[in-house]
Amino acid sequence: QDAALGEKVFARCKACHAVGEGAENRVGPHLNELFGRTAGSIEGFKYSPAMTKAGEGGLVWEDETLAEFLAKPKDLVKGTKMAFAGLKKEDEIANLTAYLKTFSANAASGAATPAAPASDAPEAPAEKKSEAAPDAPETKAAAATEAAPAEAAAEVSEEVPSHGVFHLGRPATEDEVAAWDIDIRPDGAGLPEGRGTVAQGETLFADQCASCHGDFGEAVGRWPVLAGGQGTLMNERPEKTVGSFWPYLSTVYDYIRRAMPFGNARSLSDDDVYALTAYVLYLNDIVTEEDFELSKENFTSIRLPNEDNFIDDDRLSEPHYAANIEPCMKDCKPGKAEITKHAAVLDVTPDSVDDEENTGGGID
Amino acid sequence: AGDPLITEIQDWNRYPGDGVDAFPYGKPSQFESEVVRRNVPWLTSDSISSINFTPLHELDGIITPNGLCFERHHAGIAVVDPQQHRLMINGLVDTPLVFTMADLMRFPRENRVYFLECAANSGMEWRGSQLNGCQFTHGMVHCVMYTGVPLKYLLEEAGVKTSAKWIMPEGADASAMTRSIPLEKALEDCLVAFKMNGEALRPEQGYPLRLVVPGWEGNMWIKWLRRIEVGDEPWHQREETSKYTDLLANGKARRFTWVMDVKSVITNPSPQAPIKYKRGRTVLTGLAWSGNGTIKRVDVTLDGGRNWVTARLDGPSLSKSLHRFYYEFDWDGSELFLQSRAIDEAGFVQPTKDELRAARGDNSIYHNNGIQTWHVNPDGVIENVEIS
Repeated sequence: QDAALGEKVFARCKACHAVGEGAENRVGPHLNELFGRTAGSIEGFKYSPAMTKAGEGGLVWEDETLAEFLAKPKDLVKGTKMAFAGLKKEDEIANLTAYLKTFSANAASGAATPAAPASDAPEAPAEKKSEAAPDAPETKAAAATEAAPAEAAAEVSEEVPSHGVFHLGRPATEDEVAAWDIDIRPDGAGLPEGRGTVAQGETLFADQCASCHGDFGEAVGRWPVLAGGQGTLMNERPEKTVGSFWPYLSTVYDYIRRAMPFGNARSLSDDDVYALTAYVLYLNDIVTEEDFELSKENFTSIRLPNEDNFIDDDRLSEPHYAANIEPCMKDCKPGKAEITKHAAVLDVTPDSVDDEENTGGGID
Repeated sequence: AGDPLITEIQDWNRYPGDGVDAFPYGKPSQFESEVVRRNVPWLTSDSISSINFTPLHELDGIITPNGLCFERHHAGIAVVDPQQHRLMINGLVDTPLVFTMADLMRFPRENRVYFLECAANSGMEWRGSQLNGCQFTHGMVHCVMYTGVPLKYLLEEAGVKTSAKWIMPEGADASAMTRSIPLEKALEDCLVAFKMNGEALRPEQGYPLRLVVPGWEGNMWIKWLRRIEVGDEPWHQREETSKYTDLLANGKARRFTWVMDVKSVITNPSPQAPIKYKRGRTVLTGLAWSGNGTIKRVDVTLDGGRNWVTARLDGPSLSKSLHRFYYEFDWDGSELFLQSRAIDEAGFVQPTKDELRAARGDNSIYHNNGIQTWHVNPDGVIENVEIS
């Protein structure tokens, strides 16, 4: 059990759960003092009926129960709204458990590796000291291994000083460019070999995406909605999704590939990304067959419905800029100014009232 | 008789304070603890991919202290060891190159002061007044002095091919942020910066390396900059299609709306900085800026735009940086409707919010540079309002 490795595993939970000082409930409940906690018992958090019932039935979070839950949440608590598919590797579960224990004063046994962040635990200073000692040489070792490629790089640049004006930097290798140059353009430039079907995408989506985006792209909480919204762009509250707003399919592939799933970026294979992109098309009714296969070959034949509604920046043609008149200085408007809109009516300024009610139109 | 603070000897006048090494990296006075960035939790789904705001009402001059520059991340603050950082230039170049930070330090460098404004600054106000305080309505802007290498030098080092027309910078964070930028802009005035206000970039501002794209929307100033691809067409990345495109009333959406338009705001008095006396001498101050260059003039009104006076610009007037203005007057204790209106060197006049709505509708989110109104009541309490 290694709490430090567990912290890395926790990156996959962070989108929904907070832990540590000041942690609050988010999409999921906060995880402070988790060990010994009865399931479904954080006041003010809206659990699924299934989780509340499990707690009433005696489910308490301990090593064994948590391990079972983390392996397959829906098996232990059928009907939980935690959409996370589960951790497949036992050591990941063990490390995550060790990490979470550092935030539980009640963690009974087995916290073999002390972890640094338990700042309010009384033994924290001692832990910090015992960690600090081995830490230093470790860092040095890491620096030494890091130095190896850097030195190699320096040698290469000694050999090839011919480029440019200042002869600084060194030529990038083909492998290096391939590792980072993963972007896709609307014309298909950059697409890798590969393929994936709607059905394959559906399985991946349920496992890796639905916890934020919802099973059908309808979204959980304030995470992005991926499907629907066609015909709403002129409404008071337009719903901007891949189907209703995005101009190019290449952006979907590119973005999933570089940044998704949130908390575990660059973990999907090229085929996975084709399958997920196909599934997003299916959610938006742009393809309709579950056995539809998206591939490098047919990718650019698919156009998104809103492509033609993007126009160039024409701000300068707007009347207030185009008119270019000297602004008025005296007696510019008749009568006394009357208030037409108050911020205080909505009262969505932080710290003003109940934040739960504050939904004055986001910017993300 | 008299003020005991004067007539009695105070502790700080009798006992010595901390010695020189009490704070090896200095901090603001303990009495300034209210001067912090703040966020608006309902704006975004999660604090990892979110935004907070510069406390403009607590600051003066034109330079934002590093620790108060607003933050906007799409996958949290990446922790990057400069020893392990690499910058790659690839695509339509003669020699794809890799630079270490040490390599970059050997290029000629320049120091320039620029504002950085998020395209969504004031975006919450499109449908009407929402937030009480210039920190929240206008706090997605900051202004610092950058030290960095002109991007032109790095591109010349790799040798840009004649067919090249665009670049795409990319971040090293878990969102691998990307934007398309015309090559012309890249060669004109972009910087690859490693210092802000003299010290290393703060982690939340892209340490150890960020792109500076003067006068253009903040989303393009890629943080944790690790790669610049050169190409012949734009890439249409997520942040220039799904986001940072301006939806108009007719359902069309503008793309590539890069320049931040002429804008200003009165920072004091304002809702978070009310007037705490009954009447008399009052200092009105605020900030103005434009992506088109310098600010030529700022007018202010006390009566909601019936009559205007020209404010006094003070301090350096630098292209694409913040400008500070003042207007001193005697307040008679009656209700005020405060507004400011900036004019930039290209002659653009800051429009009203209603003019913007007439041209764009309410769903644009981005590029709201409309004139802001603060209502001061006779008690000195101030509210964000819109008026006839």
